[in-house]
Amino acid sequence: MLWRLSSALWFCAPFMVLLVLWAVFIPYFDVNPRLFPHLSSVVQAGIEGVEDGTLIRHIGASLLRVAVGTVLALLIAVPLGVAMGVSPIISSFLTPLFRFFSVLAGIAWIPIATLWFGYGFGAITFVIFNAVFFIVTYNTLLGVSTIPLQVRNAAASLGAGRWAMLTEVLLPGALPNIVTGIRTGLGFAWRGLIAAEMIATNVGLGYMLFVARDFYRTEVIVLGMIVIGVLWLLLDRLVLAPIERATIERWGMVQRA
Amino acid sequence: MKDLTIRNLSKTYFDPYAGTNVTAVHDVSLKVEQGEFVCIVGPSGCGKTTILNMIAGFIPYTGGEILVGGRPVKGPGPDRGVVFQSFALFPWRTVLENVAFGPKMRGVRKVEREQIAHEYLALAKLTEAAGRYPAELSGGMQQRVGVVRALANEPDVLLMDEPFASVDAQTRMTLQEELTRIWQEKRPTVIFITHDVAEAVFLANRVVALSKGRVLDDIAVDLPRPRSWDALNDDARFKELSNRVLQLVRSA
Repeated sequence: MLWRLSSALWFCAPFMVLLVLWAVFIPYFDVNPRLFPHLSSVVQAGIEGVEDGTLIRHIGASLLRVAVGTVLALLIAVPLGVAMGVSPIISSFLTPLFRFFSVLAGIAWIPIATLWFGYGFGAITFVIFNAVFFIVTYNTLLGVSTIPLQVRNAAASLGAGRWAMLTEVLLPGALPNIVTGIRTGLGFAWRGLIAAEMIATNVGLGYMLFVARDFYRTEVIVLGMIVIGVLWLLLDRLVLAPIERATIERWGMVQRA
Repeated sequence: MKDLTIRNLSKTYFDPYAGTNVTAVHDVSLKVEQGEFVCIVGPSGCGKTTILNMIAGFIPYTGGEILVGGRPVKGPGPDRGVVFQSFALFPWRTVLENVAFGPKMRGVRKVEREQIAHEYLALAKLTEAAGRYPAELSGGMQQRVGVVRALANEPDVLLMDEPFASVDAQTRMTLQEELTRIWQEKRPTVIFITHDVAEAVFLANRVVALSKGRVLDDIAVDLPRPRSWDALNDDARFKELSNRVLQLVRSA
């Protein structure tokens, strides 16, 4: 517990230094707030955003898109990745397509997505879906194909049928790669989300940033940037990392980073 | 437990690098009686692991037949338990769950299969390790789990593919002694593959010497049980048998 607390403090220390420098030097050099805001005005913007609900609304919209896009992507990517992992034919047929589309995955889809789904939720969720889908599929494929043949043979000789092989061996065996895929995929998705929201919607953190620029409200821009970074860190530290600790690290399948 | 019959077994495969057909196993016949412990010994590349993989059903054979209790082998199945050189435990399952895996696949209820698993873990002195994950155990302990995982499923035949080749020498001797003890207690039909002549003689009722895919000779081991390395290290009969097998394998 003490160890946890001290590592959390150690993690926060460089940010504290940055905040102090900011609080001291921006007023000291009398920087124009149209170029960079004071710390106090960013805090003020944060409080106002929470009080009038706009910040919460933007965060909610962004998180909902990420959640829906990611869950949809996982539902399709994991079974497809497993199918590719066990069938050399499916795998060799689809791999060139995956190479091609994983380069495209991201905001390159935005123009056509807005034509298909219109501005807003659908188009942006589609971008998230793309970012997560290709990476998770590829990692699942990789995970399944790296399960030692002997482990699969062991399960078969202990009486595992097709279904048991899938749920007892292939999925848990591929889990380290699947988790890595989700972490990387979500990282791309989160970046893609902000970019997409600047173009194709009227609510969300990306939109909040982009509109604030029109009014020279640098405190809102910086606030948005901080929120985007902090949300990602929280997501990674409080959701993804604990999943990893409870499963694949416990099993000794990856070393603690 | 049932007997195992191998008749005129052969395996030929196409080697894409050489561009020719290669015969890995050539006309091998072998009968293993119920409750017998047979070691197949031979140098690397003699086809012994190929034979085991065919009995296990992991690879198809191209000639002859393999019968377990009179029924031909078609693919892997729970009637033939396998212990692997690489242990092949499930890293995502605890030791207890690994051992209970076979019974689980048979549809045995959770309470019962855990009872079975505990029973077999006790047999291999692994009771303390039940709740741990394989990665937390030493190689020797992992292979103990591998052995009882296969046994807990009560297979007709237990197939062991150089199971002690990747543990250190002292641990290997302990594991060999434990295996003979467990075998005496449960009397499974065992086919044990090894390149270690002393190991083969120490464990087996019969040693089958193999070279270049052919059976050279089949030697009965009449050493008394229980066997221990302390007793056999200076035993004249043990040395004589070991030398005979060694000469056979080396001369080929």
